[in-house]
Order: sequence, then C-alpha cells, then structure tokens
Amino acid sequence: MKEVMAIIRMNMVSRTKQALADAGVSSLTAAIAHGRGQGRVDFRILHGAEQGIEEAIVQLGQGPRLIPKRLLSIVVPDEKVKAVVDTVIRVNRTSQAGDGKIFVLPTFDSVRIRTGETSDTAINEM
Amino acid sequence: MIMIRAIVRPEKATDVMAALLDAGFPAVTKVSVHGRGKQRGLKVGDVHYDELPKEMLLIVVPDDAKDYVLRSILSAARTGRDGAFGDGKIFISPVVEVYTVSTGVREFAEQEAVLA
Repeated sequence: MKEVMAIIRMNMVSRTKQALADAGVSSLTAAIAHGRGQGRVDFRILHGAEQGIEEAIVQLGQGPRLIPKRLLSIVVPDEKVKAVVDTVIRVNRTSQAGDGKIFVLPTFDSVRIRTGETSDTAINEM
Repeated sequence: MIMIRAIVRPEKATDVMAALLDAGFPAVTKVSVHGRGKQRGLKVGDVHYDELPKEMLLIVVPDDAKDYVLRSILSAARTGRDGAFGDGKIFISPVVEVYTVSTGVREFAEQEAVLA
C-alpha cells in the first residue's frame, strides 16, 4: 500500500473530496499547512516588477511568502494509487503555479484500531 | 526522492526555512503540531506540560541532497552551541513518485529513465 500525500489549494478541498469519493476512495486525513514552492507565486510582486516599480524589484530577491494550503493524506492499496493521483490532478489543475504537489510514499502496514485488522483489509472500503 | 520531516521549535522554524532558501531548496510545507519526546514533555515547578507546540517542516529532495539539507536544518534548528532538549527530530522516508498538479507532470521521471 501507498500513502498519497497531496498539498492543494484551500478552496479545492470539498471538490477533491467529492471527486475522490466518486472514484471509490472516501477515507482521507486533512490538515492545514503553510508552504512555499519555487517562489513564483506572488503575482503582485511579479506584476510590479514587470512594470519596473523599484519596490517590487527589491522584493523579488527576498524569500517567497508562505501560502496557506491543505495537506491531504490518503492511504490506498497499490492498484488505486494511479486513480487517486489522476483524480487529484484532474480536479485541482488550474495550470497556474500554486496548484500543489503530490507525493507517493511507501507504507509498510496499517491497522484498523476498531477490529485490529491489518494490511489491505484495514484500508479496504468494501 | 526522499521526504525529510523536521520537527523543530516554532521560534526556529523561520530560521530553518531561511537556511533552506539559502541552500537552494525553497519548497517547504509547514504544519503546526503538538508532541512530546523522551523527556515526556516539560516540567516547570509543579506544572507539567505533556505536549509542546512544534512546527513540522516537510521537504522533498533528491536522494543525493540529503546530507547537505540535513546539515542546513541541523545548524539552523539547534539552540546554543551544543543544542538542548526539545530542539526536535528529523525523520526521513522514501518517496516513490512526485507530481506537480499545475502541469500534471511526474517529476524526475527523466532521471529515473536514465538510471533504468
């Protein structure tokens, strides 16, 4: 099984949850996170710099701002990883910087606390 | 690719992030967390704090950048010369796939192709 960790825009969470549920993956954990990417996100500074405004050009050299994001963590069996990744990309893609990142991490085991079931039975949604 | 999860003091998080920026790794995700370590929290007089606030920084980097990034984090997150209890922990886990949502592209696929 794999853990799919998706960092997406704040306002995309409900749509992503709905789309994932439609794709057959309803369990996920969400957390509020703040992050920065390659630093191409602050359009005001970029716009100002394009106009040749001195303040904006000075700010360009400084560190990128932290943007509020949502961190979704979804543990799924190997065969569902592609569906989850494709769904998240399809829903969240606006083709602008700041859409987010998806990381796929190997997970060794999972346990359902209620019953003590382990491995793939602990995460199946049948 | 590897994911480095650094749990650091909240007041050190900005220092660590500045150090990472200087090191050439601008992309970081920060999550506020609460936790305790092997000192079982903090005892001040009669008051016992079971969980202390920390910031968790998530950084995904190529395998060969590990030592360099670790050095940057360690030197920025340590308090004083020798460090102190509560400075935090760093965990490293493998990442098998990375996607950029805005382009839908799987990152570093070319490198893997060369290796394979």
